[in-house]
Amino acid sequence: MTSGQTIALLLFIFFLSLGGVVIGSRLLRVIRTGRREEGRFAGPLQRLGWLLAYGVGQKRVAAKKFGFNHLIIFYGFLLLLVANAEYVAGIFVPGFDLSFLPTPLHHALLFMADVAAFATLLAVILGLLRRTFFPPYEGGRTVETYVILAMVGLHMVAALMLTATGIGLGRLTAEPLPISTLLAQTILHGAELPTLATLSTIFWWLHGASLLIFFAVLIPFTKHLHVIAGFANCFMRSPRTVPLLQREEFAVDKPLGADHVGKLTWKDLFDPFACTQCGQCQLACPATVTGKPLNPRLVVAEVKKNLLTNSHPPLVGEGRGEVSEDAIWSCTTCGACVASCPVFIEQFPKLIKFRRYLVQMEAKFPQELITLFENMEGRSNPWGLAPAERGKWATTLGDREFDPERCEILLYVGCAGSFDARSRHVTVALITLLDAAGVRWGILGKDELCCGDSLRRLGNEYLFDVMARKNVELFKQRGVRRIVTTCPHCFSTFDNDYRQYGLELEVTHHSRFLQELLSQGRLTIPGTAREAGKVVYHDPCYLGRHNGIYDEPRAIIAAATGDKPAEVKRSRQESFCCGAGGGRMWMEEQLGSRINLERVDELLRQNPDTVCVSCPYCMTMVEDGLKDRRAGETKVKDLAELLAEACRPQG
Amino acid sequence: MTEQKPKRPRGKARLLEGKCIACGARCQSVCPVAAVEMNPAGEPIIDPAKCIGCVKCVKVCPVQALEMFFTPEEQAILAQLGEGAAPEVDRDEEALASKLSAYRGVWVFIEQTDGEAARVSWELLGIGKELARGLKVPLSAMVIGSKVEHLCGEAFSYGADKAYLVDAPVFANYRTEPYLKAVSQLIAEHKPEIILMGATGMGRDLAGAVATQIGTGLTADCTGLAIDDKRNLLQTRPAFGGNIMATIVCDKFRPQMSTVRPRVMPLPERIEGASGEIIRQQVAVREEDVLVKVLEVIRDRKAGEVDIAGAEFIVSGGRGMMAPENFSLLQELADELGGVVGASRSAVDAGWMPHERQVGQTGKTVRPKIYIACGISGAIQHLVGMQDSDLVIAINRDADAPIFQVATYGIVGDLFKVIPALTARLREMKQQGHRR
Repeated sequence: MTSGQTIALLLFIFFLSLGGVVIGSRLLRVIRTGRREEGRFAGPLQRLGWLLAYGVGQKRVAAKKFGFNHLIIFYGFLLLLVANAEYVAGIFVPGFDLSFLPTPLHHALLFMADVAAFATLLAVILGLLRRTFFPPYEGGRTVETYVILAMVGLHMVAALMLTATGIGLGRLTAEPLPISTLLAQTILHGAELPTLATLSTIFWWLHGASLLIFFAVLIPFTKHLHVIAGFANCFMRSPRTVPLLQREEFAVDKPLGADHVGKLTWKDLFDPFACTQCGQCQLACPATVTGKPLNPRLVVAEVKKNLLTNSHPPLVGEGRGEVSEDAIWSCTTCGACVASCPVFIEQFPKLIKFRRYLVQMEAKFPQELITLFENMEGRSNPWGLAPAERGKWATTLGDREFDPERCEILLYVGCAGSFDARSRHVTVALITLLDAAGVRWGILGKDELCCGDSLRRLGNEYLFDVMARKNVELFKQRGVRRIVTTCPHCFSTFDNDYRQYGLELEVTHHSRFLQELLSQGRLTIPGTAREAGKVVYHDPCYLGRHNGIYDEPRAIIAAATGDKPAEVKRSRQESFCCGAGGGRMWMEEQLGSRINLERVDELLRQNPDTVCVSCPYCMTMVEDGLKDRRAGETKVKDLAELLAEACRPQG
Repeated sequence: MTEQKPKRPRGKARLLEGKCIACGARCQSVCPVAAVEMNPAGEPIIDPAKCIGCVKCVKVCPVQALEMFFTPEEQAILAQLGEGAAPEVDRDEEALASKLSAYRGVWVFIEQTDGEAARVSWELLGIGKELARGLKVPLSAMVIGSKVEHLCGEAFSYGADKAYLVDAPVFANYRTEPYLKAVSQLIAEHKPEIILMGATGMGRDLAGAVATQIGTGLTADCTGLAIDDKRNLLQTRPAFGGNIMATIVCDKFRPQMSTVRPRVMPLPERIEGASGEIIRQQVAVREEDVLVKVLEVIRDRKAGEVDIAGAEFIVSGGRGMMAPENFSLLQELADELGGVVGASRSAVDAGWMPHERQVGQTGKTVRPKIYIACGISGAIQHLVGMQDSDLVIAINRDADAPIFQVATYGIVGDLFKVIPALTARLREMKQQGHRR
């Protein structure tokens, strides 16, 4: 063993252990600081599938605009791991190489490494150009990013030059190494043997040094840790596209919400290490896009920064390194951040934990919410209207009280469907369809209670807890077996959140229920909704992204109009929020531009005659937006209204 | 057999049907033999077998819902014993009556900030005048502050006969401590029988402190005030979330104190040039002794901001106004009515009106006498902010607009024609009124 190799060996052992120790200590910090969280390892086989699909398969990355570039670097890197293993083994066992393998296999490996190194180098150059001229987001040109890209590039150059000098020195056969051969014939053409030998040594060291920096510095200390944590995050992801908010324990010594890393769970603290600042979340976030002070990427970054300090200063506040209240209240809980993250970081659920802290510990929230909270608590509806008025819309319909003997479904009308004049039209359209299909439905009338969706999203978890228990008890008492809702928020709250409270019955949103009636042939559509004209569909977040219902609404529109709806660019899982979710319906929108206008402008670009929605919040926000844009000829219709129109006797 | 002198019968207590107000089981608590049980409605059930006829419950009842009942036989014995027997004089009652009679007069606390009186104080002078007339006593204003003598004059014009004035720099900004001392001292010296305060932030704070200090009852947020034949103040207020109206009497202590929310009582007519007696009172409060210091006064409302929550007439505009400059139409109408201009959320969002004018879920809740909604479709977010108005007039082009569902009068038409017509007609009527 030469002295150079001995030094290399020692350096390698030292730096690799250093890297290992740093990563280990960070992991330990995450586990020690964070609270317990269960269920992140349940169902390991399914999780392995996720790891393969989203980690190895890069499923979400590949779907992104510039994803192919990452794909090249990623797979190039994986292939080069083999070449690097040979290199590292060569340090430990001088003279070691893979030439003992059957020549065709060895040559194939050499060929792949050669091509992969070159492709990765090209991708890195492309990445550098993009980062410089078209950064993914403003402020994306960080030193960290450039250093990482440069280091990857350097490693590739060194790898290629190392083999090229090897060819020049006659140590390697040129045959399986097209790129290196090309380099040897061009750049190294005519170089003397001693020069080649010196160059070979230099590139050997550069190759080694860049590899070391990679493993001992970049991975443990920078966002490049995502190469490990990202995989882990794919494995530990929530089974849902948009994760469910966790229940809070109301007990002595249990924190309410979080204002501090110590009150977040270990998974919350692990997430930031998987983040590579790609900015996909902020590009999808309706708050960030409309210039509000919320940026999901920075929220995650703040958590990491805070965790890595030793003092753990407050996480919620107006100072540097804190997440501001304006940011926390800007979230619409649309879930776009979570759904867009290639490595399944859960951004907005952390914001809800901050909201819980602000509401339950500090009683600090936008003042408009005082009325909302009081109304919800006292009268179980957001407007504070008399509970006795809830069933008023149905008084002319005779006795429609739910009776388990007589009714196959409980039509849960919801606050908007009961009280809001516009949404009542939707309710009436729906019952027309139900009656036409011969569905035996009943309502709870004045006994119906609000589902509490807004409260949960606003962090008033205690009141939500109370309301959820009441509702679960009420449904049980009345012998309800199946609920149909008109509002995706009620639907999602019952079908997901209430499961935490032991609700076991079947919950269906009217879009799915109507589609069911159509496919079973119970509901037949005699005509078409001719007046609707060109229809564009807006996916509500809580129907689409949160619950994966994309096809049923489109099928209903097709059934009603005879045509598939027009699609906007941001549709289905990429749908853009109307701005009213997460309790934003009950707050003023004074920061940045208006979310509903951003969405309405996008919808109007399709020149639709009708915007079809399936959520009362979206209905209000889109209608308001259209009025603001003086687009009065464009109508907003719920799915049920469209279908009811098609059912009406045609003259 | 010696003739036994019949024992004087004491009778049994009995409930007079329909008179009980369920005051809170006072009769039960005074009964020495536990003969009184309360039914679920809060009315007493008296067990005649247990009743010893001590009359305690009859005396404690605030509304004379209990009486002593004698059987015909007992009545006969009573008659036999003769009318000559002097009625038993209740010493307690006498002492109480003399204690209470030391208190005379109706006072209204004049709440002021920087020398400007709160409107509710004038409203209270109106109802105070009625009470004082019924009791045949003078109505007095209690004015506390710094450089506030002019308020006494205003109080006279709103019906006060006298004004007690405490004027010193220490009272410049409201602080509980010095105000409490001033009011307590005034009460101790002049002994009013009734004190009324506005149920405002200041009034609620002060009234509670005063009642505790001088040891009397206080009824908050009264909606009705009247006098019974014993000079007691009948204080009516909603109870149990407004489901019932409770009438509360403070018959053992004086003064009787009530707070009344702003705009519950009508504003009395102002009589210019009315005068009265100003009684200046020195209250020994030194600045050094006050623990609370006012460092800075930060105003919630910017100067020039309009308070729509308190307005009697509101003309509101929505998206149908089309442009900010059209709000001048509404302002003209509001000026004629002596009201203010409000707005819906969309008009505020569009930047046509400032946020403090917003009516609705996330704005202000208003209950004016007349609310005129112009070009407002009436989304539920808006309706919840104005549906308690006494009278709603809606002007909208769309006959199906939900605003018409809550409107007393609806005008379907072009507001740019309707509103100027309304304004012009109002002007015309006013001029005719003047000529007459």
